[in-house]
Amino acid sequence: MQRAIAIIGAGPAGMAAAVEAVRRGCRVTLVDEGPRPGGQIYRQAHPSLAGGEFAEPAELARKRRLIAAFQAVIDRIDYRAEATVYAVFPNGEIHLAQGDRTEVLRPDAMIIATGVREQAIPFPGWTLPGVMFAGGAQAMLKAQRVLPGRNAVIAGCGPLPLVVAAQLLRAGGRIAALASLRSLRTMLRHPGSLWSGRHILREGLRYERTVRRAGVLQLTGYVPVRAIGGEHLEAVALARIDAEGRVVPGTEQRIACDLLAINYGFVANSELVAMTGAEMRRDPLIGGWLPVIDTFGRTSVPGVFAAGDGAGLRGALVAECDGTIVGAAASVPSTAVGGATLQAELAETVARRARHLDFQQAVRATLRLPLGLWRLVTDETVVCRCENVRFGEIREALASGHRSLNAVKRNVRSGMGWCGGRTCLHAIAALAELATGEAPTEMMTPRPMARPVPFAAIARQKKAAAE
Amino acid sequence: MPSEFQITFEGKAIAAREGQSVAAALVAAGERCLRVDEAGNPKGAVCGIGFCWECRCSIDGVPDIRACMTQVRPGMIVRRQRGLDGCSER
Repeated sequence: MQRAIAIIGAGPAGMAAAVEAVRRGCRVTLVDEGPRPGGQIYRQAHPSLAGGEFAEPAELARKRRLIAAFQAVIDRIDYRAEATVYAVFPNGEIHLAQGDRTEVLRPDAMIIATGVREQAIPFPGWTLPGVMFAGGAQAMLKAQRVLPGRNAVIAGCGPLPLVVAAQLLRAGGRIAALASLRSLRTMLRHPGSLWSGRHILREGLRYERTVRRAGVLQLTGYVPVRAIGGEHLEAVALARIDAEGRVVPGTEQRIACDLLAINYGFVANSELVAMTGAEMRRDPLIGGWLPVIDTFGRTSVPGVFAAGDGAGLRGALVAECDGTIVGAAASVPSTAVGGATLQAELAETVARRARHLDFQQAVRATLRLPLGLWRLVTDETVVCRCENVRFGEIREALASGHRSLNAVKRNVRSGMGWCGGRTCLHAIAALAELATGEAPTEMMTPRPMARPVPFAAIARQKKAAAE
Repeated sequence: MPSEFQITFEGKAIAAREGQSVAAALVAAGERCLRVDEAGNPKGAVCGIGFCWECRCSIDGVPDIRACMTQVRPGMIVRRQRGLDGCSER
């Protein structure tokens, strides 16, 4: 009997896992929300949307190579595009919705490769149309061939704001300012790690050159403190902050723009893996709550594996290695996972992963957020956008003893709206730590539905099962 | 399907290209406010990849469809939801 593997997510980890599991003779089902494989980093435009590519050629080559490897096996897998997993259960069931139908999968093993989402530090005015996540703005360019703004301010930390600024410029956009919490030269403190990532670093330097040659106003140590506008964004106030994350008085600058693209790092999409009952840990620097995994991506729940950025932010190259390793481990009986045969077969990939991981040490240095930076969130700032919950209400709930994220949610409704806390959960965790001096020990319990699904779609499945 | 066609947003004709998302076509046409929330706040596309649900619109009479996750089709009718009015035609 062929072993059945279900993979959630068609980014680098999911695609590599599928290729490996097929190679090992497994029956693979891959479920992904996107219309085409690639995930976020290797997001593909529709074939009819020909147009310029603004990413570095070396990145495009990596993307083409992995997607070609996946396309070579796609006819041998059950590939579900535009399908959403809305629940996973400890008994190994995966519940998915596709169009107006739902379905239950019961694989022998599942690989959860759900990646990351972007993180924001809320600030007054950030709900105005025109304030976007930087990666979301980039996705419009990459897959839609649309400029998300004519005159943009890009802000945040880490490498993504620079990349997005450069790509928007190459596409003909104007960048009014690039504000970075700290210089990417912070990476120079990890020279050994930089050597491991010298190929990636070269691409970064070319993006930097694009921005420099365009004469973009670059403000290091500045963050957006207020978005200004009526029906939509018209300007942003940027200000310098000190090492503790406090605004330095008198440094505020107002810059007109129609797009403010922000990125303060990433949060793991770990809700599904948590729903299986897997043991979790918290590491805000690499994505917040993460499943505890071993070398082979095994979680504490037998048959449940995690791979890629969703298991801890480490970039696309690590994710691809992860996919291969986890794809192999999920394809063999559990008794063989730690065995000498598999170890020998995976030795080269494990070593390559370690080299890519080394470079991530340098990247992480650029993503560190001082806790004080969360003071940008004033009492009046909307934290939970879905339910319009302002920080003042959350602060009062915390002060009156509702310390866990679940208790805050039940009292002020933060995290109970359409996105299920995807946009604000990490912010509430950090704000709770700043307000109480204690980091929350448990994540807001993720429950079905991981995504809103129409009742009719579930009713149809129940009706079909009864007949 | 023709590669270039029109959709409508609030009754206005919007140019779109096959393979684009509804959100991309609207943003390209300069439409920033895609929804007005229950408190009266204008809302636009935010995450661009489907997790925040801020860009949900009424599409062909079905409310609460993510504009960033839905590909355009010729003649698609997109409406701006206002508060709990989902512009449903069902």
